[in-house]
Amino acid sequence: MTETEGLIAGLFLLFALFVYTFWPENSFASQKEKTRLDFLLERKEQLYENLRDLNFEYRAGKYPEEDFKVQRAALEHETAQLLAEIDVLQG
Amino acid sequence: MAAFGSLCLLLALALAAYNLLAGALALRLLATGQTARISPERLADTARRAGIAGFWAVTGAAFALVWSVFTNDFSITYILEHSNRALPIPYKFAALWSGQEGSLLLWAWLLGIYGFVLRLRHKTDVKLYAYAGTILAGVQVFFLLVLNFAAPPFSLLKGAIPDDGNGLNPLLQYPEMVIHPPLLYLGYVGFSVPFAFALGALMMRYPGEKWIRITRTWTMVTWLFLTCGIFLGMHWAYAVLGWGGYWGWDPVENASFMPWLTGTAFLHSVMMQERKGMMKSWNVWLIFSTFLLTLLGTLLTRAGLVSSVHAFAQSSIGNWFWVFMVIVVTVCIFTYVLQRSHLETEHQLESLVSRESSFLFNNLVLLTACFVILWGTLYPILSEFVEGSKVTVGAPFYNNVAVPIGLFLLFLTGVGPLLPWRATSLKAVKRNFVLPVVALWATVAVCLAAGANPWKGGTFSTGSFYALVGFSLAAAVLTAILSEFLRGAAVIMRQTGRNLFAALWLLVRRNTRRYGGYLVHIGVVVVVVGLCGAAFNRNTESELGLHSRMSVGPYTLECTGFTQDSNDNYDSDYAVLNVYKDGKKAFQITPEKRVYHASGQPQTMVTIHSTPEWDLYVVYEGTNPDTGQPIIKAFLNPLVGWIWFGLLIIVMGTAVALMPSLSPATAAVRVPLAQATPLTQAIKGGD
Repeated sequence: MTETEGLIAGLFLLFALFVYTFWPENSFASQKEKTRLDFLLERKEQLYENLRDLNFEYRAGKYPEEDFKVQRAALEHETAQLLAEIDVLQG
Repeated sequence: MAAFGSLCLLLALALAAYNLLAGALALRLLATGQTARISPERLADTARRAGIAGFWAVTGAAFALVWSVFTNDFSITYILEHSNRALPIPYKFAALWSGQEGSLLLWAWLLGIYGFVLRLRHKTDVKLYAYAGTILAGVQVFFLLVLNFAAPPFSLLKGAIPDDGNGLNPLLQYPEMVIHPPLLYLGYVGFSVPFAFALGALMMRYPGEKWIRITRTWTMVTWLFLTCGIFLGMHWAYAVLGWGGYWGWDPVENASFMPWLTGTAFLHSVMMQERKGMMKSWNVWLIFSTFLLTLLGTLLTRAGLVSSVHAFAQSSIGNWFWVFMVIVVTVCIFTYVLQRSHLETEHQLESLVSRESSFLFNNLVLLTACFVILWGTLYPILSEFVEGSKVTVGAPFYNNVAVPIGLFLLFLTGVGPLLPWRATSLKAVKRNFVLPVVALWATVAVCLAAGANPWKGGTFSTGSFYALVGFSLAAAVLTAILSEFLRGAAVIMRQTGRNLFAALWLLVRRNTRRYGGYLVHIGVVVVVVGLCGAAFNRNTESELGLHSRMSVGPYTLECTGFTQDSNDNYDSDYAVLNVYKDGKKAFQITPEKRVYHASGQPQTMVTIHSTPEWDLYVVYEGTNPDTGQPIIKAFLNPLVGWIWFGLLIIVMGTAVALMPSLSPATAAVRVPLAQATPLTQAIKGGD
């Protein structure tokens, strides 16, 4: 490829990329602001996962009974608080 | 093709600059609610598409350089200096990253690829991706500025064009060099993505930790690339440099290891943030530091700040990098100070003996190792700056500090999974630690019985002691991890009636991230076993005339002849050696010495016969000028093969961790409001 051919190819690429970048398009993606409720719903999934992990590890024999009860109570308390707030926000 | 390549680079710079400016303006308009002639969403979308277009422009430049290598266009200075007509085809590709300009182009191209994928996936979370894409564009602008104005790869030769080029550095003419640098760069460049997401999430005060889930795949893939790059570099050093080792604490090796350490710390501590909303500031600074360390690594490798066998390209682009690093640090500090209230922890550490604390210790140890290595790497530069004389830091300094740190890290690898979250009672410690402790002491006894005794012969051997500790901890950690698998499988066997293997399979599929991670830990254990073998390395050197013999370990080497060969690229001298074991001929090896035509540089080609027990590593060092006799150096390196095997397990484990887990089986249970325990019932079917 000669330098002239290279320049022509480069100019063609310039034109193509310019058109691609600025071609008017009406269906671009936008997103609503994330709300406190969205965050709480995400957090709820995480807390459920933590509870599932706790249950599983208890059944696998990693937690003595008394440790398990304390840990589960703490996690459930946190989850209950979170669900209560979700209920309030969801009306 | 030089004109096309240069035009592509200019175009890429313009597009990246537009992506940065228009993206930043659009995000500013969105954040403040101001109006403009064009809607911020549309402006942000043109910025995103400019980023995608920029990828094609950088691809055009990379293509132009590769095309020029293949067409032997020696009018381009870079091609003249890094290629020649007889260079084999795979190494023509390697010419792309063998010099400074080419490797910076590779950086920009890989960043373009990552950015391309990121921008195509923007609908996952439009605003967060817009922030990340704009920050990546900022990084890309820097590299394209360097490529256009400080280290242009398409600069033309002044004067007459030679008929042939200077050729590729002989050290780089080795198969691994075709894949090791791209993998290492994929790792280096890849950390730009989690950095961009973390900085973007902080700038926009992203609510929650979902950004971590979004970037998890990016971070793990990047970490895997960097890991593979480092190991392939080790294997290259082992197979090419001819000194019998694979890691010499060379500054450039250190430069790749430091971001790996902080990246590994981030992968662990980010779990705390995801699960419990803890360590948010810590994690943000870990990923900021990792990105800065990748820049420092590129600076050390490419700017000739330190002397290294790996620093193949040296020049004066250091100032550009320093300025950029100062800008990055300033932006990070400014954003952190402005938004630090967003990073307040949601939970406190409840006990020093818990899974959380093991993650914290793991992080502290990894960062300590990183700081020690950073200190040792930069010490020659600092000493020259302060005292006027360059004081280098040798391997003993690193070994004295890094080996104990590494062993403590191995200990934490075993302890962490055994500790429950939040707090651990003494009863739980007793229950979970019995088997690993038994395995540890049993291994100590076996090693001592097998002769790995540090006090052998009345003198204390530090290397043997570390090896003994390493083997014992490896056994304990392996036992701990296997017990995790077996305990989990036992639960599934009880619940579903499946056999052990089916239960293990289901266990892993249910939580790929955790059990993939455990597989990675097994790989690390196997690697550590391989590294411990270095304590028992042996070597011997001898002038080996025709039919004379030398011995190393159980092997006897007999020289049966010498031969020569030649091709378009190099001339070779071979020594033909029969290897005997237990009095019988086992195999034949042909260590080689080459002289490359284009550069006139010699290069030894080591012969390695690898078994699980040890490597027989033989170097043909050339001829003694006084006696005319060939010199052969033979090493017996125990357990080296375990290191490469460990890497395969790490790759497999990471691949498992990257797979999506099976969705938990849940059952919705409607209960009266008055009951106090509805949640317990709702999650009962989940495990």
